Amino acid sequence: MSSRDRVRTALLGLWSGLALLYLFIPIFIVVLYSFNDNKGRFNFTWQGFTFKHWAHPFANSDLSTALQNSLVIALATTVIAVTLGTFMALALVRYGFRGKAVTDLFVFLPLATPEVVLGASLLGLFLTLHVGTGMITIIIAHVMFTVSYVVVTVRARLEGMDRHIEEAAMDLGAAEWTTFRKVTLPMIAPGVASAALLAAAISVDDYVVTSFNAGSTQTFPLFIFGATRQGVPAEVNVLATLLLLVVLVLMALNVVLQRARARRDVRATGGAPDDIGLELAEAGARG
Amino acid sequence: MPDRDVERALERLLFDGDGMSRRRFLGRSGAAALGLTALGSALAGCSIEGEAAHGVNAAKAVSVNHPKASLAGLRWANWPLYIDKKTLKSFDKLHGVKVKYVEEINDNFEFFGKVRQQLAQGQPIGRDIVTLTDYMAARWVRDGYCEPLDKRNIPNIRNLASNLRTINYDPKRDYTLPWQSGGTGIGYNPKKTGRKLESVNDLFDPAFKGRVTMLSEPYDTACLVLLGMGVDASQAKIADILKAIEKIKKAKDDGQIRRFTGNDYTTDLAKGNVWVSVAYSGDLVQLQADNPDLEFIYPKEGSMLFTDNMMMPKHLAHPYGAEVLMNYYYEPEVAAKVAAYVNYITPVDGAREILEKTDPDLANNPLIFPSDDVRKRLHAYPALSPADERTMQSAMADVTGA
Amino acid sequence: MLRLSLRTRRTLLPYLFLGPGLLWLIVFYAIPLINQGGVSLMTGNPEQGYTLQWHFATYTDAISDYGTQFGRSVLFAGSATVLDLVIAFPLAYFIAYKAGRWKNFMLLLVVLPFFTSYVLRTVAWQLILNDNGWVVHRFQDVGLISSNGRLLASTKAVVAGITYNFLPFMVLPLYVSLEKIDRRLIEAATDLYASRATAFRKVTLPLALPGIFAGSLLTFIPACGDFINAALLGTPKQYMIGNVIQSKFLNILDYPTAAALSFILMTAILIGILIYARLLGTKSLTEAAA
Repeated sequence: MSSRDRVRTALLGLWSGLALLYLFIPIFIVVLYSFNDNKGRFNFTWQGFTFKHWAHPFANSDLSTALQNSLVIALATTVIAVTLGTFMALALVRYGFRGKAVTDLFVFLPLATPEVVLGASLLGLFLTLHVGTGMITIIIAHVMFTVSYVVVTVRARLEGMDRHIEEAAMDLGAAEWTTFRKVTLPMIAPGVASAALLAAAISVDDYVVTSFNAGSTQTFPLFIFGATRQGVPAEVNVLATLLLLVVLVLMALNVVLQRARARRDVRATGGAPDDIGLELAEAGARG
Repeated sequence: MPDRDVERALERLLFDGDGMSRRRFLGRSGAAALGLTALGSALAGCSIEGEAAHGVNAAKAVSVNHPKASLAGLRWANWPLYIDKKTLKSFDKLHGVKVKYVEEINDNFEFFGKVRQQLAQGQPIGRDIVTLTDYMAARWVRDGYCEPLDKRNIPNIRNLASNLRTINYDPKRDYTLPWQSGGTGIGYNPKKTGRKLESVNDLFDPAFKGRVTMLSEPYDTACLVLLGMGVDASQAKIADILKAIEKIKKAKDDGQIRRFTGNDYTTDLAKGNVWVSVAYSGDLVQLQADNPDLEFIYPKEGSMLFTDNMMMPKHLAHPYGAEVLMNYYYEPEVAAKVAAYVNYITPVDGAREILEKTDPDLANNPLIFPSDDVRKRLHAYPALSPADERTMQSAMADVTGA
Repeated sequence: MLRLSLRTRRTLLPYLFLGPGLLWLIVFYAIPLINQGGVSLMTGNPEQGYTLQWHFATYTDAISDYGTQFGRSVLFAGSATVLDLVIAFPLAYFIAYKAGRWKNFMLLLVVLPFFTSYVLRTVAWQLILNDNGWVVHRFQDVGLISSNGRLLASTKAVVAGITYNFLPFMVLPLYVSLEKIDRRLIEAATDLYASRATAFRKVTLPLALPGIFAGSLLTFIPACGDFINAALLGTPKQYMIGNVIQSKFLNILDYPTAAALSFILMTAILIGILIYARLLGTKSLTEAAA
């Protein structure tokens, strides 16, 4: 790299670091205040350092259940929404068909609809159909509004994507499904992974639509919103911190494992693969 | 080969080649829109049911009989952090059941929005007790959404504080039973204001310009301001309330009021962003731990008393069980425990005496156990007709910018 | 089992791909929404109920009464989107090109704040930006705000809140489209004596356009309907159309107006999307990709 490139990279790195810092400033506060020795039920003023909230973070069973529900819902939502949305994106980008333009615009609509209306109108549907509200209806609602995010994100990956490799694979005799599984999917994997992250994040943080369709099921955001009337207990901060830590550790492990896997793959292909082979191996390791 | 025909048919049906021309797009979407609207009006059923369909006059005598039945499956919807869970566990042990206690009420209107359709259609909502604030309780009573109480199953109702034995929307307490009360008054920081406050009109003191917050709920704020204008808010008519909202609007336009809040005035007050707030008594008890400088006053003109009430929704599954549960919480020992945890004003006589022995600081805290002369100045929310209530909410929404 | 030719299978495929997702949206979004369309044309009140009277005046009244809030929402959401684009682009670029195998990890970091609740994050900002806090004092020292000034309860705070909360929605699509640009194209451009800046302008930027388009939409559209930031960080002067709809729906129980306002918002946004697509020159909306 030239020195100009090094400066450029350093500046980009600095900007990125600052941007990430900006994203995490409130998180530092949340984590910090999990150690606040607050005497009342409000947690606004620093009153001293303590580990007391960390002693029994799961003591409040309603809070623990709420968090658990949120995680389960997020997982289910992500799996379903990413599946549905990825296939929709593929259809919209790669094929022409009747009603395509309208479908294109239709997929944007849930993003544009105010959450109150989304939530209340869906509840109306459930009530008319005499469907009891609870976990399942929350998942249905969450999938409904995250699918659009998935479609838009995966499309950004698909548009203008070079189809030569897929065509090459099919020329070499691979059936369509095999091509899809071994070539297409790895190539769109970054888009799909990003969409999954987005869907999970939106689901875990949703309040308005969930509050209408939750019945008596509690989720993490519902609990916290409700608790603001009396003061959010510091255990909430503790659980939020724990959640962040667990996710971070898992992800870091994933990176380390991938490095080991990639090294193993390169060794397996004979140590000096040609370009396409290396690309595919890297694509596999990346995705 | 027969498959070829199917193929050709499918192709003709499905394959659309390249993209749409604009005309085709507009034509297609126009047709789609019309089709959808027609479908929509069919689906909309052309109407939404009104609430008054099953209306009720609370002043009329009512008698009801809830025979003994199993308590299993009892469900209580309440606000978060509004109970000492140990008391629930004791109840469970006493009766050999597991009460399903769900902290799902975050806001009266929001909860109502959730269950409104079922109530209007006369269907059960799956909860046996709900805990709602006066103005929402009034609505439910008036619209016939509440099951009357069989007071024979609630002998402890004799412990109900005298000032709460009757209320304008439920004169005989046939439908509602107070859970906790609170005062809407003024929370402030004397160090910032430089003086002690006494009157509602201190909210409008220009010395505090931009350092005041008010609650966005007009029942709390407009009625408090009305008290400051010398009008008895609990008897107020819509014309009076609109005058109070006018006054608030003028203050907002003058920059007196920093913002209108829900429960989130607490951060502003604790951090000193704001010096004077329309506040709830229970909040200040907790805030004082965060910021010991803060004080709460029941203004000399009076305060609004809000009560969260236990009610049984119509068509509930366990009326007897609900009444037994309510009765349990009207025992002074239990009520004392709840008061010690929640720090709001308990409606149960005898709780204070018990706390005096175990926790005298709490028993003498005027925010939790207001003195008698303060009690005389506590006003219930006015009973407004639904149309008037909407007018009030609309007028306030215009001021708060919503 | 029908024996269909490859060609027929190929033409059926898009419908197979589209089917489940579309069905989900139609049942759980379109039908309830159509119902709301009907509601927007009803007249009545909560006591006597509502009936469908095809009352279009609700729409015109809504626009004239709440035009300010509509405009404000567009302005705030638009500003936040531009800010997000500026902040996100270098970050997405760095993750796509310079982060190596830490890519996914960094993406996760971008999204991680969402896993703490909205309430906690906003309260944290309220604590950080409070009038007597460190941040405000430094701003005052530097002269960015007056000595009586504040950061909270202002337009700045609301826009900053929206920018903060929607940043991941901009970063991810940008990353996704930047990452797939074949670096050899850029190398080729510089081999052909284009400067780095020109290569960026003529190669990278156009190829990143789908990502910019997607990110802007994912940020702007939901931000228009946001109400939380204005409610917690603003004053009545900052309230957006989302606050109006929320209040009409829950407090005032004026369902027709709330529904009408929602539809006006959605229509305006759709028109905006079409214009934006035209401006950017992306053919992604109405024609099949190359």
